[in-house]
Amino acid sequence: MSTMLLQTALDVSLVLCVLGLVWRVSAWFRVRIGPDARDVTLSQRVAALLHGAGAVLASRRIFDVLRACFLDVLLLRRLFANEKLRWLAHLLIVVGFVLLLLMHALAAVVTEKLFQGYQPTLAPYVFLRNLFGAIVFIGVALLLVGRRRRRTDLAQVRRPIDAAFVALLGFVLVTGFLLEADKIASPRAFYRMTEQFVGSTDPEKLEPLRALWASEFGVVFDDLKQPIDPRLIETGRELHRDACAPCHTQPASAFVSYPVARMLAPAIGVLDQGRADVWLLYLHAFACFLGLASLPFTLFFHVVSAPISLLVNGAAPNRASSAQEHSAAARASRRALALAACVRCGICDAHCSVAPLARYFGNPGLLPAHKLVASGEFAGGRLLRSRNEQDGLRYEALRAAEAAFLCTDCGRCTSVCPVGLDLEDLWQAGRGDFAAAGLPAPAQWVRERAALAWAESLEADLVQSRASEADATLAPLSADRRSFSRCVQCQTCTNVCPVVAHSMHSDHGVDLTPQKVMNLLRLGLRDLTLGSRMVWDCATCYQCQEHCPEGVRVADIMCELRALAVRRLGAVRGVREAA
Amino acid sequence: MTGARRNSFDVAVIGAGMAGMAASLFAAERGLSCIQIGSGGGILFASGLLDLLGVHPVAERCLWRSPYAALAALARDEPLHPLARVDAPSIRAAFATFVTALGAAGLAYAPLGEQNRNVLTAIGTTKTTFGVPRAMVAGADLLDAPDARPPCLLVDFRGLREFSARQIAATLGRSWPGLRHQRIEFPGSGAAPELYAAHLARALETAETRANTIALVQPLLGDARAVGFPAVLGLARAGEVHAAFEAGLGVPVFEIPTMPTSVPGLRLLRALEAAVSTRGVRRRHQASVRALAFDADDATIELDGVPGGERVHARAVVLATGRFTGRGLTADRDAVRESILGLPVEQPSAREGWHQRDFLAPSGHAINRAGLRTDEAWRPLGASGKPAWLRLYAVGSILAHQDWMRSKCGSGLAIATAWAAMEQVARALRGTAAG
Amino acid sequence: MKYALFLGCKIPSRLPAYEASTRAVLAHLGVTLVDLEFNCCGYPARDVSRDAFVVAAARNLTLAERAGLDLLTPCSCCFGTLRHAIRFLDEDAPLRARVAQALAAEDLSWSGKAEVEHLLPLLARRVGAAALVTAVRTPRTGLRVAAQYGCHTLRPSNVSRFDNPLAPTTFETLIRATGATPVDWPRRLDCCGDPLHEANAPLSAHMTRTKIADALASGAEVLCTACPHCHLRFDAAQADSSEPTIRTLLYTQLLGLALGLPAGSLGL
Repeated sequence: MSTMLLQTALDVSLVLCVLGLVWRVSAWFRVRIGPDARDVTLSQRVAALLHGAGAVLASRRIFDVLRACFLDVLLLRRLFANEKLRWLAHLLIVVGFVLLLLMHALAAVVTEKLFQGYQPTLAPYVFLRNLFGAIVFIGVALLLVGRRRRRTDLAQVRRPIDAAFVALLGFVLVTGFLLEADKIASPRAFYRMTEQFVGSTDPEKLEPLRALWASEFGVVFDDLKQPIDPRLIETGRELHRDACAPCHTQPASAFVSYPVARMLAPAIGVLDQGRADVWLLYLHAFACFLGLASLPFTLFFHVVSAPISLLVNGAAPNRASSAQEHSAAARASRRALALAACVRCGICDAHCSVAPLARYFGNPGLLPAHKLVASGEFAGGRLLRSRNEQDGLRYEALRAAEAAFLCTDCGRCTSVCPVGLDLEDLWQAGRGDFAAAGLPAPAQWVRERAALAWAESLEADLVQSRASEADATLAPLSADRRSFSRCVQCQTCTNVCPVVAHSMHSDHGVDLTPQKVMNLLRLGLRDLTLGSRMVWDCATCYQCQEHCPEGVRVADIMCELRALAVRRLGAVRGVREAA
Repeated sequence: MTGARRNSFDVAVIGAGMAGMAASLFAAERGLSCIQIGSGGGILFASGLLDLLGVHPVAERCLWRSPYAALAALARDEPLHPLARVDAPSIRAAFATFVTALGAAGLAYAPLGEQNRNVLTAIGTTKTTFGVPRAMVAGADLLDAPDARPPCLLVDFRGLREFSARQIAATLGRSWPGLRHQRIEFPGSGAAPELYAAHLARALETAETRANTIALVQPLLGDARAVGFPAVLGLARAGEVHAAFEAGLGVPVFEIPTMPTSVPGLRLLRALEAAVSTRGVRRRHQASVRALAFDADDATIELDGVPGGERVHARAVVLATGRFTGRGLTADRDAVRESILGLPVEQPSAREGWHQRDFLAPSGHAINRAGLRTDEAWRPLGASGKPAWLRLYAVGSILAHQDWMRSKCGSGLAIATAWAAMEQVARALRGTAAG
Repeated sequence: MKYALFLGCKIPSRLPAYEASTRAVLAHLGVTLVDLEFNCCGYPARDVSRDAFVVAAARNLTLAERAGLDLLTPCSCCFGTLRHAIRFLDEDAPLRARVAQALAAEDLSWSGKAEVEHLLPLLARRVGAAALVTAVRTPRTGLRVAAQYGCHTLRPSNVSRFDNPLAPTTFETLIRATGATPVDWPRRLDCCGDPLHEANAPLSAHMTRTKIADALASGAEVLCTACPHCHLRFDAAQADSSEPTIRTLLYTQLLGLALGLPAGSLGL
C-alpha cells in the first residue's frame, strides 16, 4: 500500500480537475451562440461578467442572489416545484454525498479539526458514514425508479457518459462498503492493528482480544475455538480498553457494511490472501480520483455549473419580460453557461408545448433538451459539418433547423428548468444562427428564389415533377378541382386582401394576388404558386374566404399551399455552405 | 355544453342578394326574429345604383323617365310580372325604408323622387336608374341637360385597370365637347404595377392620402365645373371622403361606377349587413341549405358549411335564392330546376325554346323569364298548383315572368317583392299563435 | 359555468397580464376555470402539415373532454385554430382516422364533445351584457375605445360563429357595458399584421401602423384587444415609434377596471 502512489494520484487528479475546470469555464467566455455574439470579444465578455457582478453586489439584487442561493441551490426549490420525487432523490444524493465528502474523504481537514479524537472506526462516525452512503444509494435508486416511470415514446437526451458517471458513483459507494466490510471481517487487518498497537501478532497471545473481536467486532478468524468462552471475551475487553477502544467502537452500527461483512465471512480467507484490502482501497480511491479528474467532463460538472446558473438566474431571472436589457456580451456568456449547466433532466421535454408535434413528425429535435444539445453541436461547428449527407442536404442540420422554427416560444421549458437556464433566449439565438447559416424558417428560405425558379426546380427534379399521393393528404383542397373550379375571377378576394393593399406602398410587395393564385390552380399550374410571395405573405385574415361569392376556401388553400411548398420545395432545395 | 344559441325564429330568409337582404331588413323592421342564410355574393357585383323600372317593353328598348308610369304600363301589358302585382304606395314605402336604412348605415342616397336618372357607366354609355348614391348624383345632374353640359374633368388613376377616363371621354366626346380627361398617380402607389379599387377607396379614408390626391387634381381643374372619378371615394366613410373632395376642389364631385367587383357593391354589402346586424338579424355566412322540411306549423332547415351541421327552425321561410348565378335555379341540358325543394319552375316546354336564334334579340330569351310562379300571397306553387307550404314565400329574381336585366328593374324587383312578401309573412304569423 | 382554461403559448410567456385579468374577471363573474396542462394549439404547424396541426389541436380537445369540460380561450388565434381543427375533423373522414391513430399512441381518443369558446362570446352571450352592466361598479364613462376584433374571432364566420363578420356588434356591446364609448373606425375589422411580422416585417409594420393611425384619427383614446397577438403587435409597433401612440388595453382589463377590481390584479 503506497501512500505516495495515492498521494501522487490525488495530486494528478486535482491538477487535471483544475485544468479541466479552467477549460470548461473558459468556454463560457469563448463559445459563441447567436448572431449577436459573433462580434463580442473575450475581453468584453469578461468585462460584462465583472460589471454584472459588481452591479449586483452594489445593489439590492444581492438579496435576490442570496435568496436564490438558499432556495434554489441548497433547497432545490425549482426542482421541487415540478418533480417532487426527483427532488427528494437529488436532495438525498447531495446531502449524503456532501456529508460523505466532508466527513470521510476530507476527514483530515474537516472532521479532525472539528471533533477531537476523530477516528473513522469510532461511533458515531461508523454509523454516519454508512448512513450517508446509504442515503446516496437510496437517492440513486429513487432516481432510477423515477426514470423508469417517466419513460415515454419520446427519446430522452442522455449521453452514455452520464450513465458511466452514475455507475462510477455507484462503484465508489460499493467499493467503499466492500472495503469497510472487508476490513471489519479481515484477520489480516486485525493483525496489522495489533502489531502496531499491541506489539504482537501471535494468535495465542492475542486469544482474548481475538475472542472479543470475533464476537463483537465481526472479525472472522478461522482458527478460533468455538464456542467462545465469555470469560475470554472479558479478558480481551481489558486489553481492548487500553489498546483499541480509543479508536474503535463496535461496527454493528455500520448497518450496511456489517451485514456485508457477515456475508463475506466464508470468503474472507480468500480475500485476505488476495489482498482484497489493498486492491479494494485502490479501486475505491482511484474511482474517486477518476471522478475528480473527470469532474469537469462529466455530469458531475453540474455541481459547479448548476449553482452558478442558479445564482445568475437569481440576479437576472430567466423569465424577465425584457431579456434585451442585458448586453450582448452578458447574454453570450449566459448561453454558453447553459450548455454546461444543463443536467439533461428532461423536465423541459416533459412540459414542452410542441411535444405532440415532435411525436407526430418523429423529430425529437423539437424538444428543448435536444435543442440544447443541437445548440452545442452548432456552436462547435459539428452540426453543419454533420456526416450524414443526403442529396446535398445536411440532413441533421436541416432537421435541427426545422425543429428550431417550430418552437412557439411558450417559455414553459424556461420556467420549469431546475437550473434556471434562459432557454427562451437560447432558442431565439439558435434561430438567428440557423438563419445566418442559410437555414432559416421556410417563410424566409422560400424567398431565396422567385416563384418561377422554384417551379422550374420542381420540374427538373425527377421525383418532385410527379405529383404524389401524399399531396392529397397534405393539401386536400388544392388537390380537389371542385375547391376552386367555381372561381369566376371576380377579384373580390384581391380587393379585400390587406396584404395586396399594403403592397401598393411597399417595395416588399406580393408577386401574385389571391385571385391569380386561384387562377393558377384552375389552370393546373399549382407548382407556380408554391414559391410565390402571395402565398407566403398571406396573413390568413380570411377576408378572402369570407367574401368569396362562390364559396372558394381561398385562405384554407393558401395554408395548404404553404405546407405543400415546405415539403416539395424543401425536397429540391440545396443548402449553401455555412458562412 | 352549447351556448345559449337560439335556433328557432319567426322567419328564415334563404339567400343574401338584394332580395334576401331586403327581406330580412323588412322582417326586422316589423319586429320579427329573423335568421338569414347565405353570403352576399351578388351584391358584390352591384353598381350601387337602384333600378326600379327603366325599360318597357323590353323588345322596343323603350326608356321611361317616370318609373311609376312605366309600372302602370307594365301592369297593363304584363299583369303576371311581379312588379305589376305590387301597388305603387307599397313600392314607395319599400324603397323609402330601404334607402333610409342604408343612410343610417352610412351609405347615403340622393332623395328618391318620381323620376329615373341617367348616370355614366365605366365605358361612357349612360344607364337609366332610380336610386342614385349621393356620391354619383352630381354626374346624373350633369347628364340631365344634354345641350348645356358645362366643362367637366374626368380623372383616373394609373394602374386602375377597370376604369379609363379617356375611354369615357372618347365615347361621350361628340355629345359633350367640354369633357376632359386626366390620368394621375395615386399617392403612395409608386411600387405597384396594378391597383385595385377597394384598396384605393380605403386609402382615401386617410386624411393625408386624400389631401395629396386632391392636391394632384387641383392644378388640373382649369375651367371644369365638376370632376368625375372612378368610384373609389371611400368605403366605410364614403360620405366623408366625397364631402372632403368637394370641399377641397370647390366644385361638385361625382363617382362613376367601375367594372365589377366595384367599391359601391362592397359598400352596399357592408351597409346592408350593418343594417340587418344592428336590427338583430342572425346571419349564417358561407352556409347553404342542405335540406328544408315542413310540418304543420314549423319549417326545419338543415345547414351545410357549418362544422357539425346546424338545424334551424322557422315559422315562415322566404326563398330569395336568385337565379343561376346565385344557384337558386340550376339548369341541366333538359330543364331548369329549383335547387332546394325542386319546386316546379315555369319554363319553356322544350330546351329548343330557351333561346332565340339571335343572341342579342331585343326581346330577350324565354329562359330568362323562367322561374317560380307564386300566388297572390307570394307563395310559390307546388306540383299541385297550390302553395308548396302555407308559409313558404319566394321573392326576387327567382320569380317567373320577368327579365330584370333587360327591364332595368333588378333592385325594384328585389325590394318590392321582398316588401310585399314580408307583409304577407307578418299577417300570416299574426294569425298563428307564437311558437 | 365551468371551463378548462386554454391559454395557449403567447399569454403565459409574453402577456401574463392577460392571464391575470382573465382569471380575476371571470372569478368575479362566477365562472370557474380549471387548469389542465395543454399543448400548443397547433397553429405554427399549419404551414407545415395539416395532419400535425390537427393532431395537436385534437389532443387538447381530448384532454378537455376527458375532464368533462369545454375549452375557453382568451386567445383569438388559438380559438380559430382549434375551431378549424374541428371543422377539418368533421368533414374529412380519413383525417379523422389518422388523428385517432396518432392520439391512440397516448391512449387518447377524440369524440368531438368538447366545444371551444372564446372569451368575448362567453361574456356577451353566456354571461350577458346585461349581467355585466349590473356588475359594473366604476363605469369608464367618457372613455373612447376602439374595438380590435382580430381576425380569427370573426372569420371565417361559419367556423368561428361569433358574429356578423362584415358588421359585428358584440365587442362594441361589451365595451358599452363597461360604461365606455365605442368608437366607429373604418379599419376596425382589419388584420393587425402580426402573422406577417417574421415573414415580412415591413409589410406587417405598415399594416399595424395604419390601424393605429386610423384609430387615433377616429378619436379613440384606447385600443381594446381580445387577443395576445394583436395586443403585443400594437405594443411592439409603438415601442420605438416617433408617431403618435395610443394606449392599448385588453378587454379583460377594461372590464376589470369597470367591475372595480384592483389594477394590480389585472396586470396594470
